[in-house]
Amino acid sequence: MPPPRKRIFRPRVCRFCTEKDLVLDYKDAKTLRNLVTERGKIIPRRIYGTCAKHQRQVTEAIKRARHLALIPYTGQIPY
Amino acid sequence: MRRYETTYILRPNLGEEQFSEIIERTNNIIKNDGGAIINLERWGNRKLAYEINKEILGQYIYFDYAAPGSTILELERIFRIDDRVLRFLTVKIADAIDEETVASETERVAALAAAKLSGETEAEVEDSAKKDTDEEDSDEEDFGEEDFDDADDDDK
Repeated sequence: MPPPRKRIFRPRVCRFCTEKDLVLDYKDAKTLRNLVTERGKIIPRRIYGTCAKHQRQVTEAIKRARHLALIPYTGQIPY
Repeated sequence: MRRYETTYILRPNLGEEQFSEIIERTNNIIKNDGGAIINLERWGNRKLAYEINKEILGQYIYFDYAAPGSTILELERIFRIDDRVLRFLTVKIADAIDEETVASETERVAALAAAKLSGETEAEVEDSAKKDTDEEDSDEEDFGEEDFDDADDDDK
């Protein structure tokens, strides 16, 4: 029997649903930086607790921002 | 008529003359097709997150406009030909827009820009100084890389 995994409690409420004034915009690189890891990967839903609807918007925004070189595809975010 | 917004990146060292020439040209494409420009913003030279065609800086130009769909084809065709344009991205904001909305939106944006301009002149100096320190602080909040890797294993 493997030892039980330690479960880390995370907020399970979508932050974009609770805070209406948080608007996702691909032009706003500053906000998007919080939604990717240090390596530039999109943070999965299961970590952040975003709902499906908003996670799709997050993904879309990040991908657009990457295309415009506002945030990197990979690696540290400079500045 | 639909409402779109386009951001494009130009090579940074072209000089003001060529910048305005390109902006002028794109704006004319839209106007000639019966469209209207709602907002035009120049974000200036910005650092690119990664190198594009050996450039590390880029001149960002953003504009918001109403135009028929066929205009986009023409606009993007020209962007593709011109190698002074590093990147472009067009996003549709609304499926339909009438002239009234165009007028009211143009007014609203102009008012916003004017308010920003008057407010910014004083605030700008403080802001730019503050920015450097602020950005260092932004952390990954309550999940570290370690937790993240851990969670990955669950899937396998």
